[in-house]
Amino acid sequence: MKRNWFHRFSGVRNRGINPQGFHVSQLKFYLLLLPLAAFMLLPILFIFSSAFKPPDELFAYPPRFFVVNPTLKNFTDLFSKMSSSGVPVSRYLFNSIVITLVAVAASILVSSTAAYALSKKRFKLKQTLFAVNTVALMFVPIAVTIPRFLVIQRLGLLDTFSVHILPGLAMPVGLFLLKQFMDSVPNEVIEAAQIDGASDLQIYWRIILPMIRPAIATIAILAFQAAWNNAETSTLYINAESLKTFAFYLGTLTTTASGANAVAGQGIAAAAALIMFLPNLIIFIFLQSQVMSTMSHSGLK
Amino acid sequence: MKNDRNLITPRLREALHGYAFIALWVVGFSLFTLFPLLETFRYSLHRVTVTVEGIRLDFVQWANYTRALFTDPNFIELVIGYAVETLVSVPIVLIFSMIIALFLNQDFKLKGLFRTIFFLPVVITSGPVIRELTAQGATSAPGIANLPAVAEFIAQLPRTLRNPVEYLLTSFILILWFSGVQILIYLSSLQKVDKSIYEAAAIDGASAWEAYWKITLPSLSTANLVNAVYTVVTLSHFSENKVIQYIYNQTYAVQGGIGYASAMAFLYFAVMVILLGGVYLFLAQQANKERN
Repeated sequence: MKRNWFHRFSGVRNRGINPQGFHVSQLKFYLLLLPLAAFMLLPILFIFSSAFKPPDELFAYPPRFFVVNPTLKNFTDLFSKMSSSGVPVSRYLFNSIVITLVAVAASILVSSTAAYALSKKRFKLKQTLFAVNTVALMFVPIAVTIPRFLVIQRLGLLDTFSVHILPGLAMPVGLFLLKQFMDSVPNEVIEAAQIDGASDLQIYWRIILPMIRPAIATIAILAFQAAWNNAETSTLYINAESLKTFAFYLGTLTTTASGANAVAGQGIAAAAALIMFLPNLIIFIFLQSQVMSTMSHSGLK
Repeated sequence: MKNDRNLITPRLREALHGYAFIALWVVGFSLFTLFPLLETFRYSLHRVTVTVEGIRLDFVQWANYTRALFTDPNFIELVIGYAVETLVSVPIVLIFSMIIALFLNQDFKLKGLFRTIFFLPVVITSGPVIRELTAQGATSAPGIANLPAVAEFIAQLPRTLRNPVEYLLTSFILILWFSGVQILIYLSSLQKVDKSIYEAAAIDGASAWEAYWKITLPSLSTANLVNAVYTVVTLSHFSENKVIQYIYNQTYAVQGGIGYASAMAFLYFAVMVILLGGVYLFLAQQANKERN
């Protein structure tokens, strides 16, 4: 049972993208890929190990990669700080979870419908819209902070729950990547569906979405990270403490801590970073099996 | 009823459906991205002061721009540094991710696991992880550039080459972490290449090397472009990017101000567009050459 679960969700050896046996001719791949793979894993190991480092190792020079005397002190410090603040931690956590779930689902919906229209429909403004999106994609997000604040103020969205979700919905990167992936879905498939009497919604839901699942999963990962790690919205648009997010809360803990006590602050920051990072990693592990295994099927001959 | 139906031509209907599908996005986009962007441009032409009643604008024409370009001692230097770093990084990211994608497209055991690992940078380069890593100094490998032999080598280089090479050596790890999505895009377009083309080429006596240059590379030309754009954009929006941090600091600085920061944002944007244009033209030209 456990093995089965592992196979279904981890992307390892599922749906037959790996050959059945090992052969000596495969050895060269390992020779090249193993060191590079280890290299890619380093930052993750680093995050884990530095969260358990006692102060003297965090500030050791030259910095040491692995923890020698692991300690849970950073976490106990963090939790004791949490319990001493006014609003319960569960409130921030609840906010973050709801916001992230809604934001991911909604931004996938918005970007993918828009990408479908831009990629497969013919209408006048199509080229212009995509060009405008590409331009917006390149523009520095922080430069629009203040006008965006004014818009949000005028719409009466300050201090509401939806301000966490609405501004991030039209994600230029999402539209860009999804449109590129959809372009490679052959028009013949869609024409065949039209002849069979499928409506636009059916084509979008039954044909386009399954075919671009890897891209959807990628966008989901990106949107998840944007929503989950977003502390900025809470700082700028929210006054009520009970509407702020977990990312913001952890940020305040570590900054006030470092103001008071730089040494303890570093440790707490490392522990907080690990706690913030874990959901990213978990979502990634779940979604990447979608990304990886469907990719081998999405190519059409 | 029937008459009404005839008024809507299939073409118009398709267009209407298209608009329906994109409507949601247009609303969100114009409210929260396009309109603020235009406002920012307006601010960049003004001196902006935040008062109790709201925002006051004094029209100053292009003064903010000329100040960023000719008076500010830091901005131009930061932007040039950024441009050089980007131009160095883009080919490395592209080549690295292409090589990895080519390997991951082969058949070997544990392929799925390796694909996962190489997609991991997607979760590394954003959010708290990279902040923690840069805070701890793990993104650079200062040791390499300080090795006596390497330092000697760098000192020998002409001045214009010195900075890029040094950047390359110290930030190599960081550059590689930017290649998650790119590997994915390459992989998916590699898988769209028809296997029978390779078989046909092999029967005609093409070696694997020739097959790579004549079949694989040309079929990756669209992926090249998408990846180049994506790389430039992610590098430019990276939260640890020095220009962005400078603009951010100037927004709230006493001698800076919103108008000035907006002007710098637009200049930065212009540089980015030029970079993208250059990369695009280069790659498009390569693609054309391969077609002929």
